[in-house]
Amino acid sequence: MDAALSVEGVTKRYGAFTAVEDLSFTLGAGKILGFLGPNGAGKTTTVRMILGLVAPTAGAVRVLGEADPARVRNRIGFLPEERGLYRRMSPVSAIGFLASLKGLSTAEGRRRARELLITHGLGDFADKPIRSLSKGMAQKVQILSTLVHRPELVILDEPFSGLDPANQQALEDLIRDIAARGATVIFSTHVMQHAERLCDQVLLMARGRKVFDGTVDAARASAPRTLMMEGRFDASALADLPGVVQLTSEPAEGDAVRVSAALSAGAPAQEALREAFARGLDIRRFELREPHLHDAFLVLTGGGDS
Amino acid sequence: MIRLLRIARREYLAYVRTPGFWLSLLLLPVGLSTIIIAPMAVSRATPTPRIAIIDFTGEHLTPQVVAAINPHGAPPQAVIVPDPPRPFANPDDARARLQPYLRGQRPLPDGANLDAAAIIRPDNQGGVAVDFWSRNLQSGGLEQTVSASVGEAIRNDRLRALGVDPKALSQVESLTPNLSLYSPKAATGKVGIKDTLPTLAGLAMGVLLLMVVLTGAGMLLNSVMEEKTSRIIEVLLSSASVPEIMGGKILGVAAVTGTILAFWMTIGAVLITVRSPQVAGDLVGVFLQHGHWAYFALYFIGGYLMFATLYVTIGAFCETAREAQTLLGPMMIVMTIPGVFMAQAVGHPDLPLLRTLTWIPLFTPFMMAARVASDPPLWEIASTAALMFAVTAFELWIAVPAFKAGALATGRFDVRLFFATVTRRRPA
Repeated sequence: MDAALSVEGVTKRYGAFTAVEDLSFTLGAGKILGFLGPNGAGKTTTVRMILGLVAPTAGAVRVLGEADPARVRNRIGFLPEERGLYRRMSPVSAIGFLASLKGLSTAEGRRRARELLITHGLGDFADKPIRSLSKGMAQKVQILSTLVHRPELVILDEPFSGLDPANQQALEDLIRDIAARGATVIFSTHVMQHAERLCDQVLLMARGRKVFDGTVDAARASAPRTLMMEGRFDASALADLPGVVQLTSEPAEGDAVRVSAALSAGAPAQEALREAFARGLDIRRFELREPHLHDAFLVLTGGGDS
Repeated sequence: MIRLLRIARREYLAYVRTPGFWLSLLLLPVGLSTIIIAPMAVSRATPTPRIAIIDFTGEHLTPQVVAAINPHGAPPQAVIVPDPPRPFANPDDARARLQPYLRGQRPLPDGANLDAAAIIRPDNQGGVAVDFWSRNLQSGGLEQTVSASVGEAIRNDRLRALGVDPKALSQVESLTPNLSLYSPKAATGKVGIKDTLPTLAGLAMGVLLLMVVLTGAGMLLNSVMEEKTSRIIEVLLSSASVPEIMGGKILGVAAVTGTILAFWMTIGAVLITVRSPQVAGDLVGVFLQHGHWAYFALYFIGGYLMFATLYVTIGAFCETAREAQTLLGPMMIVMTIPGVFMAQAVGHPDLPLLRTLTWIPLFTPFMMAARVASDPPLWEIASTAALMFAVTAFELWIAVPAFKAGALATGRFDVRLFFATVTRRRPA
């Protein structure tokens, strides 16, 4: 499979401060990459290097087969974080203008803009000033302006922030559609559920370094599965159950206790459970919890704020 | 290039669609029309004042005063009314008895009010005094007419008493030498209006450039600042090169100010052509002769580019209007300097100080435009233009990475970042 994006040993320094250090990853065409990491992890700097807005101090970036991202500007769509639009312009004009900078003629840009706005339920607002639109509508317009020229690589910086649940779902569908037509999508997010539902690949960064690069399942596997048991028993009695590496307990209803037993990688939960029952412990409820991406994120980034 | 033009087009349309643009466009013509029309309208709407002339000198001055107030072939300055409660015993009696009329407490026999009264009386030194009473503190120059006509009448009487014909004296007084101005710089040696027009045209071009730079500065700063605050600048940077973005903005704002100035200049040209076709023709001649149009264009384009680049770059480092104003303030102070010296250049275009200022690139376009009438030598034109364009090129060389660094930076204006990018030409 051809790589839509290839980042090789990229480092970016600002004086004595290293924003990104020795970052390498590749992303196949038509894939969706979730770009995750705590604040200050180096995500924005990496995105800017991919876009060619800043030059790496060391290493190389290849975007859509080109070493110079500026040469493939027209094939990239970018939505920045904390985005805005020309408030006095109409959605058709604003989207049409940005499309015209991406190589479309002004007329074609406006035609596609109107088409997109109608498709996404904003047809009645196509010619109204953006300042008269609701926040959700304006954000939709911004996202459409990223897609109007049908880019092969779409980079969305925190695209879900500020959207209500319905619009978040609509955006998830849109991202799937973009990938379905063969485009590659990179998006950064703090909401792990979106990444979990959408991504073929996740890249986790912390303090400028890559801490994980792989599938969602592989990321989840890096966090322990947890066996939750609730009942009237002494929590310390579970410490030496097979596969249990860590215990945390908290009071439950009445005089019961709720214990979360983290299992070591590959340890079967059934054995620990069987042993617990074999010891005659008064276990009234139990549940095996598979790790979520959020758990993996905390483990991999050392608990950094997401 | 196509992106540059599209950015320029958006910039132009964005401003043209604002009420501020139309206000700017119409404000000057409306202001000028108001200055011209308002006094006429006020004059027409104001009723002609009514005045009483009371002469106690016994020299029959009233007919001459009346003739001065109501000249033949011109609209009357006032309506002469008979003295209301005549006859008066003396000036004090007249003053006292006219008070109710002047205060509006009593109307004239025809029902109208008395607006003014001129009491002409002998003074203590054997001369004549005029006590001018008016209902209002200002009487619109009527008192000057009365005073001048009384003065002329007295002078003529005295001249006649001395055996001098006042008409003959008037003719003698009007004798003046025919003054002709000559200069080696005049086309025919003799200085005519055609020769002074280049001086005025040069000053006008300098002032025009100053206006364009000052108007454009605010537009450019606000435009970049708005895009930076809303992060649109990042989308633009991912879609076009920095020179395309900067160039588009500079061109777009130039088109906006150009539209406003072209509109004003068209109105001016029409007015001049209608009122004085000869001057209009001479003015066109000034621009066409000796390649003056190219001379003006050279410094106009160079000057605008130099300042516009500076303002666009500064705008990329600002996030609030306050930051922009703080940076704009010192620039405005600098801009007043050529404004002051351009006026000096009209009378003394070759003063050593003005010639020195010409070599300071920030002042070059203004000073050279104002000095056009002195026909600066070709080497001076070539050298100052080369210096100006070299500075602009250097500015652009610095501005490209500085603009990018400023546009991508967040937070308050960082002086250290600004100078770091300017001096080290460090990219973001």
